[in-house]
Amino acid sequence: MTAAIPQQGSSALGFHPVPKGRRNSLFNLGWPYLLMLPTIALLVTFTLYPLVQGLMMAFFKRGVVVVPQVPSTLPQYVGFDNFLGLLSDADFQTSLVKTVAFVVIAVPLNIVASLALALLLSPQTRFFAVVRTIVFFPSMISLLIIGVSWRWLFGLNNGLVNYLLSLAGIAPVPWLEQDTMAQIAMIIAWVWAQVGFNMMIFIAGLTAISADYYEAASIDGTSKWRQFTHITLPLLRPTMAVVLVLSSIEAFKVYELVVSLTGGGPGKATVYLIQTIYDTAFQKPMQAGVAAAQSMVLFAILLLLTIVQLRLSRSQT
Amino acid sequence: MTRIYSPWRLAFVALTLFVFLMPPVWLFLSSLKSQQEIFQWPPTIFPAHVTLQNFIETVSRAKFLVFFRNSAIVSVLSALLSVTISVMAGYALAKFRFKGDTLFFLLIMSSLMVPLQIVMIPVFLVLRDLHLLDTLAGIIIAPAATPTGVFLMRQYITNIPDSLLEAARIDGTPEWRILLRIIVPLSIPAIGTLLAFNLVWRWNDYLWPFLIITDQDKWTVQVALANTVGRFGINWPRLLSMSVLSVLPVLVMFAALQRMLMSGLMAGATKE
Repeated sequence: MTAAIPQQGSSALGFHPVPKGRRNSLFNLGWPYLLMLPTIALLVTFTLYPLVQGLMMAFFKRGVVVVPQVPSTLPQYVGFDNFLGLLSDADFQTSLVKTVAFVVIAVPLNIVASLALALLLSPQTRFFAVVRTIVFFPSMISLLIIGVSWRWLFGLNNGLVNYLLSLAGIAPVPWLEQDTMAQIAMIIAWVWAQVGFNMMIFIAGLTAISADYYEAASIDGTSKWRQFTHITLPLLRPTMAVVLVLSSIEAFKVYELVVSLTGGGPGKATVYLIQTIYDTAFQKPMQAGVAAAQSMVLFAILLLLTIVQLRLSRSQT
Repeated sequence: MTRIYSPWRLAFVALTLFVFLMPPVWLFLSSLKSQQEIFQWPPTIFPAHVTLQNFIETVSRAKFLVFFRNSAIVSVLSALLSVTISVMAGYALAKFRFKGDTLFFLLIMSSLMVPLQIVMIPVFLVLRDLHLLDTLAGIIIAPAATPTGVFLMRQYITNIPDSLLEAARIDGTPEWRILLRIIVPLSIPAIGTLLAFNLVWRWNDYLWPFLIITDQDKWTVQVALANTVGRFGINWPRLLSMSVLSVLPVLVMFAALQRMLMSGLMAGATKE
């Protein structure tokens, strides 16, 4: 991989030293702040302030919009009621369980598939580069469109998948008409969409493993399979950790694909967390506080995963 | 020596190609069929009569061009804005020591942990208070600050030799000229990668416009797609042709900048 961005030895969060003398030669003291201003202002306005605001909302009973002139819309402090309410909120719990199940199945599949593709397509020849590009391309398309293509493929009476199955003598599968099949369809489409990106990360990891190890192993007559389990896998563990966490975070946020592939259906079979949060906030009256509490639960999960990732990527160096 | 072109490997490569080419190719082939042929069973693989009828109908619906234009305006302006402010912040973090620099850096990186999905409701209220709801300006400005962009630019600019900046300062070059005449030209590869990525991200983005826009005249292509697919009784000829048209700009860009996008992504992905 020749990187367009030069690699730097220091860890992601580490600071590189700046010459001491610079501190004094800074005649424009305000200049760096001016440079930072737009980014900081936007992040505070659209990310950090909303996060604090969201946390506060979770402690109030309120609708999305508060009109000061209408007393019934004013937020009421309810303490931890919104969080406690989640314990008996069937809709939320069902979608949480479904989301976790989705993550637990889709992420390992994604890792196995992307590692397999990385091993298959890593040779540095032009032919394999073209194949890699094709596998990677879905990462550049919007998930909405990926959902549309798979919805078209999974059609009961007019889809290509069922047609190909019929050629093999298999009866039409109700991909999007039956609960479990729809969840499986979601996993297939999601993995298809994500796998190229993760394959590229694995290939970067594979090329970083020195060829010497394999050479030494070959001289010793070690089998290919043992080389894979004893050299490749252990040395790939940091890469594996990164892919695991990144794709878990991505899977917990699954939403756009649902919109175009299943619309949450059949029934509510593929309603995952994000859709539940959105529907709670915007479709039910005075439930924005509950939705905020739901968001915070998801935030806690993502935060945990991010901390795990930071830990893992630090221990790499 | 490993045989890279062993029969087994080639068989798996063929399978891979089939799995990854089939969905987009099938979408494309279907969109070229007549409205009867689209639903024909058993399906024809290649259209018996190639027709652009579906595209003509989609485009001649005056609104589709409006959606397309909205998407183009939003992605170009938002990408430019995002890259501009990322270069500025990246430069500050790479080449200046100032009070709070570490804090700013941590602040920026920590926002990576807060995806829009989690703060949709409060963000909606902020947008409303700033009168950005139902405006293209909202979709352009709100997502512009990206930790990834700042981080990539900081990494790249760090490697520009300090001596160049020192020399310019000794000559009395004003700071803004150092940024425009030294930092920007030397960062063109990184700026190009980031710009290309931002164009794709913003073009594909659904969540921000979905949250911000209700007025149909301001829909982006993605919002229009979501609304076409969300209705009962999907109009497949329209949906297929809309999908193909909306992928087209990305496909063209990816074909042109494929190397840059894939390697730039790796640099970013393995870093974060």
